[in-house]
Amino acid sequence: MSILEMQNCNVFYGKAQALHDVSIIVGDGEIVSLIGRNGAGKSTLLKAIMGLNPIKSGTRKFEGRDVTNATTEMLGRSGIAFVPEDRRIFATLSVDENLRIATVMGRKGPWNLERVYNLFPRLKERMNSRGDTLSGGEQQMLAVGRGLLTNPKLLLLDEPTEGLAPLVVADLIKAMELINAEGVAILLVEQNLKVPLKLAKRQYLIDNGHIRWSGKTDELLAEREKIEALISL
Amino acid sequence: MGMLLFLLAAGLTLIFGMLRVINFAHGSLYMLGAYLAFQVVNVTGIFWAGLIAAPIIAAVVGALMERIALRPVYNRDHVYQLLLTFGFILVIDEAVRILWGLEYKQMYPPELLSGAIEMFGSSVPSYRLFIIGFGAAVSAALFFMLDRSRYGMIIRAASGDPEMVRTLGINVSLVRTGVFSFGAGLAALGGAAAGPLFPIELGMGFNIIIDSFIVVIIGGLGNIRGAVMAALLIGMTRALGYSYAPSWVDFLTFILLIGTLILRPEGLFSRKGRTA
Repeated sequence: MSILEMQNCNVFYGKAQALHDVSIIVGDGEIVSLIGRNGAGKSTLLKAIMGLNPIKSGTRKFEGRDVTNATTEMLGRSGIAFVPEDRRIFATLSVDENLRIATVMGRKGPWNLERVYNLFPRLKERMNSRGDTLSGGEQQMLAVGRGLLTNPKLLLLDEPTEGLAPLVVADLIKAMELINAEGVAILLVEQNLKVPLKLAKRQYLIDNGHIRWSGKTDELLAEREKIEALISL
Repeated sequence: MGMLLFLLAAGLTLIFGMLRVINFAHGSLYMLGAYLAFQVVNVTGIFWAGLIAAPIIAAVVGALMERIALRPVYNRDHVYQLLLTFGFILVIDEAVRILWGLEYKQMYPPELLSGAIEMFGSSVPSYRLFIIGFGAAVSAALFFMLDRSRYGMIIRAASGDPEMVRTLGINVSLVRTGVFSFGAGLAALGGAAAGPLFPIELGMGFNIIIDSFIVVIIGGLGNIRGAVMAALLIGMTRALGYSYAPSWVDFLTFILLIGTLILRPEGLFSRKGRTA
């Protein structure tokens, strides 16, 4: 069973077409990654999935239901969580409030404040600090924790390890594995293969708004150089 | 006077923070509040009924204004929103003129508060003292709501990043309606409370809206805490000015405004990134 199915999606910024006939599938509880250079259309696709970029033509299915016309808030409530590239922590809210706001309309489920604080103990230490006083790593943990508290079935992660120290990256990878082990599917967007090769079983390679290649991780490894050249990594 | 200014400025600044709209019609909602309170008191004979009913009715009017008129122009240039709220002034003023006519209306403080109290050798009308206490209570409640409640948390978050709030499943357009409606209610509460202090007339909204804008700018656009401080500052300045240099009152007010704009255009009481 697939949790998310985007079929032949075309997305425009004004008159410029940003995504061309993009189709991707994320299976139930699966980790899939989407890899491409800067400006290839990765974030555009995540925003389109979350309903933040309008899909001009094509369909979006979530858990088998057609939700092409659903609004962002409906998608959020039905179990998609978005962890954006620039984290978008609420600057004037405390760490604790940044987490609690996700529980207001979020689904009921296994994730609660206590479990998120256990997953990221650093957040607990800083629970009363304002959002805009956090370091990059703390912001990333908070963005992931906030997403988790909506109890999603699918987590959209946009370059979660970008610009972070190796130790923090290792922590985040561990956290992603743990989250996935609980049955949450993850669509991971990255600019390079490092983290995707570690976590994902299937990969999509995107360039210039087109999906150039998709397949299993070992297939990618077998012809790595040829495929990397395809999307000019 | 300072407390009335605060009620208006708080609503203005909340609406600006959340909707990015400068509501020129805020003074008209204040006036509408005074007329509504007058009407309710006239029918029921109970002052408190007017004080409660006026903001509720105005909040409904505000919600309709936001839903029907304002919502379609959010994505347009600011000029459209300014023109629209300016249009609200004309509509509300005209409606008030048709409903209540041109002559002054008079409201009286409730019997309980109609006396005066001896303080520091002068006698102070007890209704004025009530307004000070009432305003302080409302501002405390407002702070509590914004800082501690779930609604305040959502308003603060959505003032900063509405899109991200939507991804969490929260209906931000409903929040916008709520905030506009609440701001309209606060303005009408100010108008209702002002009823026994000033004659109720068509121009009453215009006089106070100028001062409210000054308060909002001195406090920092979108900054509620700043609005309280600035309302007190302007209120005190005007009160002292009336006692010692009556002809200089407006001059002093505008000196404060111009000084703020030159020295700290982001507002005297603003902190980086604060939105509520």
